[in-house]
Amino acid sequence: MRPTNGNPPSTNGASLELRDVVKTYVMGADTVHALRGVSLDIHRNEYVAVMGPSGSGKSTLMNVIGCLDVPTSGTYALEGQMVATMSEYQLADIRNQRIGFVFQTFNLIPRSNIFHNVELPLIYAGVAKSKRRERVESAIDRVGLANRIKHKPNELSGGQRQRVAIARALVGNPSIILADEPTGNLDSKTGDEIMALLDELHAAGQTIILVTHEDYIAEHAHRIIRLRDGIIESDQVVSRRTG
Amino acid sequence: MRWRIDLEESLAIALSALRANKARGVLTTLGIIIGIVAVIMTMTAAHGLQSAFRQSFSAVGSDVIYVSRFPWIIMNDFFLYRNRPPMDLHDADELAARLKGKAIVNPTMGGQQDVKYLNETMDGVSIVGTTEKRTLVASGQADKGHFLTDFEVQYKKNVCVIGTDIEKALFKGTDPLGKELKIGRATFRVVGVMEKQGGGFLGGPSLDRQIYVPITSYIRAYGGKRLDVNLGVKARTQEGLDDLEYEVIGQMRTIRGLRPNEKDDFSINKLDTLVGAFDNVMGVVLLVGLLITSISLFVGGVGVMNVMFVSVTERTREIGIRKAIGAKPHSILFQFLFESAAICLTGGFIGIAIASLLTAVLNATVMPASVSPGILLTAVVVAVAVGGIAGLMPALKGARMNPVDALRYE
Ligand SMILES: Nc1ncnc2c1ncn2[C@@H]1O[C@H](COP(=O)(O)OP(=O)(O)OP(=O)(O)O)[C@@H](O)[C@H]1O
Ligand SMILES: [Mg+2]
Repeated sequence: MRPTNGNPPSTNGASLELRDVVKTYVMGADTVHALRGVSLDIHRNEYVAVMGPSGSGKSTLMNVIGCLDVPTSGTYALEGQMVATMSEYQLADIRNQRIGFVFQTFNLIPRSNIFHNVELPLIYAGVAKSKRRERVESAIDRVGLANRIKHKPNELSGGQRQRVAIARALVGNPSIILADEPTGNLDSKTGDEIMALLDELHAAGQTIILVTHEDYIAEHAHRIIRLRDGIIESDQVVSRRTG
Repeated sequence: MRWRIDLEESLAIALSALRANKARGVLTTLGIIIGIVAVIMTMTAAHGLQSAFRQSFSAVGSDVIYVSRFPWIIMNDFFLYRNRPPMDLHDADELAARLKGKAIVNPTMGGQQDVKYLNETMDGVSIVGTTEKRTLVASGQADKGHFLTDFEVQYKKNVCVIGTDIEKALFKGTDPLGKELKIGRATFRVVGVMEKQGGGFLGGPSLDRQIYVPITSYIRAYGGKRLDVNLGVKARTQEGLDDLEYEVIGQMRTIRGLRPNEKDDFSINKLDTLVGAFDNVMGVVLLVGLLITSISLFVGGVGVMNVMFVSVTERTREIGIRKAIGAKPHSILFQFLFESAAICLTGGFIGIAIASLLTAVLNATVMPASVSPGILLTAVVVAVAVGGIAGLMPALKGARMNPVDALRYE
């Protein structure tokens, strides 16, 4: 039933390739076409902002890219591997090792402290306890929360929580960081701090895709993809800012 | 290695979930506690009944055949035996003579009488008329004084040998030997006290609450037409029980003057007969216990399942988060299985504690009972199994959740 998920020839060496990706939700008699045929290549160390009106399919696209969801039709290759046909277990591995998710609502585990929240991806990757500590501490250090390691999420501000989420996304050394409105729940100053952090990660070589409604956030990216009604309306490279 | 790491995580989550919801967990364990108490008590009671049974009939002897007018176990076929002629001492003497010393034949009969010594009385004491041969076919020897002698039996002496309970109740520490007891309308002199033998559970006759008198004196004192003698027959040689039984039947038929086409007008009883009947009773006890046990475990299990569904639903979003960062379905599955197993195991341990207390009470009052390691192990296994089964459906629900839907859950 499951075709080989081997490595079909990657035509252009892109980090990820989507071809005619369609995502349809069937709800009783209604069908909602969240994505109507999206084709897209994103390369290593790109910094992409996805924009568009509410309901245009941005989150759906991020979920497909992040392997949280599989397309109804079309193909998706992540670093040359076909994803659409993978089993639940293989998808879990991809999410664990290749993807770092940052959500608008932070999505930390409330009862666990910061250390444990950041440690979780390594636990699910089966990294031995002795090797986890150093990696977790360096990820937390990288987002500037080394002094909060024992705190619970509800003892932190929104910006700090989002930093924890970023540390958690980073800790497994993913190929891509996906951030769905990472500043959506933050004031603009805190949002700027989070964006500065993402800029830093990009500068260090990380591939980043983020969804935003705000132009000043999108300006951080080097490429802006606009969606409308599940279709790519425009896809433009932004001239590099100075500095 | 990898499995171990995320199973450790599953266990840690399960335990922290329990800590966060202590009250709910404790309430849920109630059903399991009752179930586990039922499991242990059923097994302990069955165990206790069995050993009480063995103790009570240890005097019967497994190598003795009893020849009686009626079978020991009569269901609803009494009419078959009603017209049998009685069995008397003559039958006993004849049988002994015909077996030519190959076996000991000890006639016994009994009834209940009130016993009085000075101002102390005991009602409904079981009086056993027997001979000096009793000590050869049954267990129990005299501890003080002596057991009935050949002479006392032959000359119908009014002497008796009493059990330890009788000694305690009537003589209160004074020496009973040589004292005169009023047993029913007759007076008997105490010549011996039996050693302690135990038995007598659930209101049954205790071997220590008996008085032995010569069967000849018994017949003279209480005799009448309706009295029936039982013959205990024990081989002197290593002859097999079956051979002995065969021979006894043949001799008894001759003694009773039966023609070949007539049926036996006496019954052969053995310990096996009792054991068989007892096993039937035990079967019923176990069945009833099992029924109560499974009903209470079922109810307890449904309670746990219900709470686990609530737990899974409450944690839908957390499941989504864990899946988004790479948790495999089995990690989620075990997280909830461990939680329900831990609930049930806690219930199991509390159940064990309560059952141990109840067993101690039982032991002190009704019958010998103790909680064995085997029973404890069974209880723990049952508790974990109920936890696993009750947790399986909720855990599968959690494990199969779609991550996107779970993350959207409010
Ligand atoms: N699980 C689902 N079931 C049914 N319909 C869905 C589901 N998820 C998304 N949709 C629909 O798909 C369309 C695209 O949704 P999506 O969440 O991708 O929009 P969005 O661009 O992220 O919007 P917003 O900016 O508000 O977050 C919407 O019409 C939405 O109602
Ligand atoms: Mg969205």
